[in-house]
Amino acid sequence: MRNRPLTALSFALAMTFTIALAQVEVVYWTHEDPNRTALEQELIEQFQAENPGIVISRVTHPSNALAQLILTAFAANRGPDIFNMETFNEYPYIVNQRVAPVDPVAAGFGSYDAFYAAYLEGMIDPVTLDRLPYGIPLELTNWAIFLNMNVFRGAGLDPLTDYPKTWEEMLEIADRLTVRDGEIITRRGFDFRYPYYLNFMVPMAQQLGGQLIGDDGESAIVNDEAWLRVLAYFREWGPHGRNLGSPTYANARALFNFDNDDIGMMESGQYQVARIANDNPGFLPGEGWMVVPFPVWEDAVEDAAGAYYGHYWMVNAQSTADEQEAAWKFIGYMAQFAEDFFERAGLLQASQAVLDSDTFKNHPYSDIFMSDLARAPAIYYGDASPQIRQALQDAVEAVMLQNREPAEVLVTLRASVERALRGEY
Amino acid sequence: MARSAKRLTVGARKALWGWAFVVPALAFFGLFAFYPIINALVLSLHSKNVLSLRPPRFVGFQNYVDLWNSAQFWNSWKATGLFTVSTAVPLVLVSLLLATLIVSRLRLQRFFQMALYTPAVIPGVVAAAIWLMLLDPRGIANQWVNFVLGVSGIDRKWLASPDMVRLSTVLVYFWGKLGFFTIIFIAGLGGIPTSVKEAARVDGATGFQLYRYITLPLLKPTTLLVSIMAMIFCMRTFSTQYLFTQSGAPREPINVVTLGIYTTAIRDYQIGLASAMSIVLLVVMFVLAFLQFRASRTQDG
Amino acid sequence: MALQTQQVHGGGTRFRHTPVGVMGNVLGWMLLCFAVLLVLTPVAFMFIASFMPARDILKLPFSWWPQTWYFENFWHAIQGNDGRFIFPRALLNSVFVAGTIAVTTVLLSTMAGYGLTKLRFRGAGIVFMFILSTLMIPFETVMIPLYVVVTNLGLQNSYAGLIVPFLLSAFGVFLMRQSLLSFPDELLDAARIDGASEPGIFFRVVLPNMWPVMAVLAILTFEAQWDNLIWPLLVVQSSELKTMPLYVVTFMEEKSTNEGAMVAVAAISSIPMLIIFFTLSQYFLRGANVFSAGKE
Repeated sequence: MRNRPLTALSFALAMTFTIALAQVEVVYWTHEDPNRTALEQELIEQFQAENPGIVISRVTHPSNALAQLILTAFAANRGPDIFNMETFNEYPYIVNQRVAPVDPVAAGFGSYDAFYAAYLEGMIDPVTLDRLPYGIPLELTNWAIFLNMNVFRGAGLDPLTDYPKTWEEMLEIADRLTVRDGEIITRRGFDFRYPYYLNFMVPMAQQLGGQLIGDDGESAIVNDEAWLRVLAYFREWGPHGRNLGSPTYANARALFNFDNDDIGMMESGQYQVARIANDNPGFLPGEGWMVVPFPVWEDAVEDAAGAYYGHYWMVNAQSTADEQEAAWKFIGYMAQFAEDFFERAGLLQASQAVLDSDTFKNHPYSDIFMSDLARAPAIYYGDASPQIRQALQDAVEAVMLQNREPAEVLVTLRASVERALRGEY
Repeated sequence: MARSAKRLTVGARKALWGWAFVVPALAFFGLFAFYPIINALVLSLHSKNVLSLRPPRFVGFQNYVDLWNSAQFWNSWKATGLFTVSTAVPLVLVSLLLATLIVSRLRLQRFFQMALYTPAVIPGVVAAAIWLMLLDPRGIANQWVNFVLGVSGIDRKWLASPDMVRLSTVLVYFWGKLGFFTIIFIAGLGGIPTSVKEAARVDGATGFQLYRYITLPLLKPTTLLVSIMAMIFCMRTFSTQYLFTQSGAPREPINVVTLGIYTTAIRDYQIGLASAMSIVLLVVMFVLAFLQFRASRTQDG
Repeated sequence: MALQTQQVHGGGTRFRHTPVGVMGNVLGWMLLCFAVLLVLTPVAFMFIASFMPARDILKLPFSWWPQTWYFENFWHAIQGNDGRFIFPRALLNSVFVAGTIAVTTVLLSTMAGYGLTKLRFRGAGIVFMFILSTLMIPFETVMIPLYVVVTNLGLQNSYAGLIVPFLLSAFGVFLMRQSLLSFPDELLDAARIDGASEPGIFFRVVLPNMWPVMAVLAILTFEAQWDNLIWPLLVVQSSELKTMPLYVVTFMEEKSTNEGAMVAVAAISSIPMLIIFFTLSQYFLRGANVFSAGKE
């Protein structure tokens, strides 16, 4: 009798201990995004309620630091169970087999075929190796041009008809919208989304028939004329040309939402819509801002829009079998709520379900994003994509900021990209 | 020495305690400084992709050969060299000048020292963020220079033009470290015994001669310390260049060695190569410090 | 001789005559004031701009007197972009980590310095050179192997992981050793004759007398750790453990950050160190002597 409290206590302890042992903890690292965080926290609670043996630990990191953190964690063989990064950063993990192939059964799709069918065609390709998928889409993004209608109207232009459809027009319109004090720009008409050159610069060259990597997989920067024109365009854009913008000014995307009369147009994806609503509720689609398609050159030979890239959820191949199964189960669960991801965070997971939904169809300018997506190439992904992106960055900085000749910069660019392809320093 | 364990000589007893006091430090440096550096040295002889699960592949000195042949590598040394010389030399000279001036003031000495030291107390990331705003084309750096020169609207391209961006990194670093070295020099000047100066004055030396032939030579140990420290700090610079390039500044002019090490390891995953680069940095710093030390030694009477 | 110079105040010896005459004197004042003005402008900018709305901060022309006094910046700074008030926590974390490291560094460096100078043993010189050589190792070199060591010890994402790799610094050992060189042996021998044990001597004779230098080392170490970005960037994996520099960098990179909130964060992040500096500056300025005195 005296022992009853003690027995009860030891029983309770034993139960907790057993439950703790039976519990699977899944560590999930992802990047900051307030809207998505709120949504995912709710999903975690629901999931844990339905799956009492699984505990999800979600940690957010700034997107710039995330890639490095994941790298150092994996280098020490202590990576998280679930994580996501941009496709061009994720690819080396697939190649080095640090992530596990999708488990379609645990994720609720049933089979690989069903999994592929659930998404828009080609959307899983960037994470497919040897016919196995290694990730489930968290967001797929392509960038179109966001336009501040107030700025247009203030300059005497009609945003609905006078928006730039070609790169040549873009140059003129941006010049007209740019306000300067001497050489110092106080309002830009448009500026590129530096340093994501793989997203916008490569399609610009592709529109003129250029290629980043030749069909043989070894030669780079194919079609001199196309690339020279692109380089010359950037030189014209920068401080040594018409002085319309440069990488050293504040990021256009950080300014646009606030409608402060400091930027006319910028590149971004559908998720920006939710962010504008958050940051500046008075700035409304259709009256304050609008979206127009990615421009094409007047004499373009190919109609390519801004490249699409994505974040995919991936699972650590070194996690235990239980952890991996639980991870895929959780990811599959989240993927079912694609509509919520879209509606609340503006993130498109390009699943057929979402694309067919009314939420998507009624979302501002989703038709423009979809038509751009249809003509968008996938962003270059491969072992050497960071170095190649750096090579493109160096080339643009050379013509734009150092005022070097495109012809000589082209030679260096080609050499750097080919060196990167060969894996040399 | 010791006849028996119980009766150690005073010297032996002291020596044992000496070891005891030093052992924590040795253990610490062994684990947290030496083990990683040996690790880096060994790794520099291998080729290893950080993500790959395959073990490192021994390649001997191939990494070093690749670096020797790499234009990027030489460019990074050029960037570091330019930065170090442009920053360390003015740091030493200006801090000596300011220290001399402060010490010769009859009032407000502490105020000047504290004012000059304040930037060192601002955290590095914060300093970079603030300077990025000042150097923005719309920021006050442009406004001030234009004001002083009586023009308006000219953009000095602090973060855009290659020469200016190098100057900007030098400026930020110089700003941060000036006060620190000034205070060291002040202390050094204060350590010069007045008796020596009095004696020289009695012998008829003027102020200038006093400074040149008595003060400066006696300041030599401090000057040596300051210049070695300045050189080492400058060669190890990282966060200024890192934060600048993250904010859109062009990479090539300020792609210093430490930044190269970082990108080679973190972005390119080539940790063997990155280790080789860091060993080279280590060796160069050692050699330069040693040379400076020797140079000052031989000059001493 | 050496001890006397150690007691000279940071004010230093004053020249009766400056190297050049009265003109030189005026020039000297002008140069000093100019230097101070240049050096303090960014600091002033930071504090003043934190009271301005974002659109006034990078406006042409910049007005030093805020045209609109905007206090929301501070609220936004403390709240963070996600409203979770991580910033105050980050500041406390930094204080804790930097403070702990300062204490351990001072204590262990003084011990090591003492053992190397006063308790002579064979090999002391070599040990000192060993320790000194680690000064030149750039952190980036050892970053990843160090991370592996720390993770193998299970210390990642913990306060221990932030503190342990910095328990000691080679600079600290160097500083204390140099300062202890001129510590009077007579005091130590007297204590030994009185029968005190070595540890007793250390704690009761050496430490109390080394207080100024120890204060200097503590301040310098605290400052270096307060500033440390790259190690927490590797080791911290959860928001609650973030230190101040990590928080500032995150804040800078978030797309919804405006310049006003940014300067407010910057200003708040600088305040703790500034307070410490101003209250303890007397120790600091006085103790800077050890840099030069010890060399003689």
